[in-house]
Amino acid sequence: MKTCLIVDDSRMIRRVAGRIVKDLGFETLEAINGQDALDKCMLELPDAILVDWAMPIMDGFDFVKKLRELPGGDEPTVVFCTSVRDVSRIVEALAAGADEYIMKPFDSDIIESKFALAGLV
Amino acid sequence: MSASARHGALSLAPTYYDALRRLTLELAGINLGANHAFLVETRLARLAREEGYESLDAMVNELFQTGGSRLAIQVVSALTERDTHFFKDKTAFKRLREIVLPDLHHKRGGGRIRILSFGCASGQEPYGMAMVLDQMRDELAGMKVDIVGVDYPSQALERAREGRYTHFDVQRGLPVRDLVQYFEPDNADWVIKDNIREQVEFRDIHLLSKLDSLEDFHAVMFCGSLPHYSAPARVRVLRGLSGLVKENGYLILGEGESLSQMNFGFNRVTTESGLYKKREVIIEPEVDPTLKIPNGRTTFG
Repeated sequence: MKTCLIVDDSRMIRRVAGRIVKDLGFETLEAINGQDALDKCMLELPDAILVDWAMPIMDGFDFVKKLRELPGGDEPTVVFCTSVRDVSRIVEALAAGADEYIMKPFDSDIIESKFALAGLV
Repeated sequence: MSASARHGALSLAPTYYDALRRLTLELAGINLGANHAFLVETRLARLAREEGYESLDAMVNELFQTGGSRLAIQVVSALTERDTHFFKDKTAFKRLREIVLPDLHHKRGGGRIRILSFGCASGQEPYGMAMVLDQMRDELAGMKVDIVGVDYPSQALERAREGRYTHFDVQRGLPVRDLVQYFEPDNADWVIKDNIREQVEFRDIHLLSKLDSLEDFHAVMFCGSLPHYSAPARVRVLRGLSGLVKENGYLILGEGESLSQMNFGFNRVTTESGLYKKREVIIEPEVDPTLKIPNGRTTFG
């Protein structure tokens, strides 16, 4: 079974997104910020990562840049899931290594569509 | 009508459901299916509010008592509007990108071609075509393309003309790279950029009417609606489309859709159904019956 790491400082978002991603056939893991996610990725890389932008300690943007520098760190498919909707910031996220981008609020259709576009389902 | 009346309670007498189903079949050739009560309630309630009726019952009463054609078309448009999203039929767009456009470019070299999105709803399909063309501009060098989207007059078609989409619309089927390249945020919505919008012209027509007002096209995309048409309406709409496609032009149907036993002057292009090429009309030379036709034998005197 494919794995998806859900990185968000909101427990509610982790729970809602986790349920949707499980329905798409993934085993889910959780991290509460970028540093937590990076620590987990250093132990084992997931197939997909759904990551928020604004989080304490390490934000999603720094996490993605550091992830892509890890050995094999270019392999996980990264989908941002954030309230940030400025075009310039979306472009920065893509340049940093994001594969797709979800703007909150989201629903199951949006996550499924973005995972399909990223080749995950 | 007062603002309070516009927000009155909405309900519909049960006897009207069958009448609406028959009207939709008659006007649009589309079967709503057995469980259409929910569709009627949700879609027509919104139309009734927007048109300022006290209730859904009041709007439907007027429809059947006065027989106004404008209201009938509005009602049928609302009932038959497709729930669509960007690049909904991936197979159709793949065929457009990999077979149809390269072949038209190869055969014609440059020049201007015309593509039709038949039943374009809120415009995602024709705008998607314009994005594909922009991405293939080097490969299709010298070729100018006019895209026309047609559908019944409706609020969906007005949204298409405006090129304005919600947060949810632009996150279903549309890659984020296309979003940032072809759209601009405007408050809570996203608006398609002028360079893409200018390539697409929208026209409202009755899809089952004679399509004489439309000129010929080098390719027609008609996806997702065919299975909903009644058998006679299917023949009528396909015959109409056949008349619109130029010789050696293409008809692109949705995934899993086909012309079935009929051909309407088309040949199937791939081993799968869904992509058809219009046959050339071969005109036999007229033969003068007084002329003797050589029999192939040579006689020496």
